[in-house]
Amino acid sequence: MSGTVVVTGAARGIGRAIGERLQDAGFTVVGVDVGDGLAETSFEPVQVDITDPAGIEAVVDTVVGLGEPPVALVNNAGITRDARLVNLTEADVAAVLEVNLGAAFHLSEALAGRLADGGSIVNLASRAYLGNFGQFNYSMSKGGVVGLTRALALQLAPSVRVNAIAPGLIATEMSLAIPEEIRKKMVDNIPLGRMGEPSEVADLVAWLLEPGYITGHVFVIGGGRSLA
Amino acid sequence: MDPAVFRAARVVGDWSGAKQALMEAFAVSQRAAREARPIVYVVHGDDLLGRRGAPSAMVATGLLSAARTAAIELTRQGTPVNVIAVGDETDSVVVERWIGHLSAADGPTGQLVRLDPSHLGKALP
Repeated sequence: MSGTVVVTGAARGIGRAIGERLQDAGFTVVGVDVGDGLAETSFEPVQVDITDPAGIEAVVDTVVGLGEPPVALVNNAGITRDARLVNLTEADVAAVLEVNLGAAFHLSEALAGRLADGGSIVNLASRAYLGNFGQFNYSMSKGGVVGLTRALALQLAPSVRVNAIAPGLIATEMSLAIPEEIRKKMVDNIPLGRMGEPSEVADLVAWLLEPGYITGHVFVIGGGRSLA
Repeated sequence: MDPAVFRAARVVGDWSGAKQALMEAFAVSQRAAREARPIVYVVHGDDLLGRRGAPSAMVATGLLSAARTAAIELTRQGTPVNVIAVGDETDSVVVERWIGHLSAADGPTGQLVRLDPSHLGKALP
């Protein structure tokens, strides 16, 4: 596989694993992130805030500068601001919506018309879109990503396929920062008995970028947690 | 108690319209949660499947997910949170009746009730 792929939230965690997996597969990866960490990768780095129109413009400029139409966009960037509904602040909700949903919408709008025929968009939702205690805002944003995925799948067919992945508990820095006792309880509720690896999410992204007959779907990768 | 009802209008603009709708839904929901009032979101069934564009779809599916989370958080206090999906032809009297059903303390919570048949044979949200 070859061509340019844009991956947001690429400096760490799942996004970085996705970028590295796609690089190994032969893609040129434009890694986008607001924070440090891109320097440790061999991605084409774009350190910007994609909730800012100037950030979106910088990503587009970088892609255009590479010459050929990109073959894929992976909207992965996300944040959490967890609290129970009764305690959430307006700022907590707005920030999570802007990063997790607004940025994915804006970047998809900006790049959709530039994607190569047969290209693909993969949006990272979350298993929390099915509901998760203390994550009203996050759940709302990731549910919105599912709607975005479905609408774009209809809008961009037959040229571009659009799918979503909803990861459960994945062994990232963020998850490993959860106190061990709580993390153990969470893992006890996962039928497969362990956290997922970022590489497992990356493998699913790579598979979805291959030519195929799937569009508009959400793939839950959570070790069976959405059943148990 | 009287339910707090948030009716999602079609968003014909862009992200700002979608964000505004979701922020309003949050404000309505938080107020209701603090007052232990039932919560019902009314969305358009086509938006759950993305048929009327991204902004409206993001609102409808965002609300469905928010309802599931709010239902988890509020179930202990006996506050139901549910979603009704309507179609263009759905009778408003029927919608009001279902808002009543879904607001009962001994009724369901975290549920989606679709009052329009356009989802039949299609994906489950």
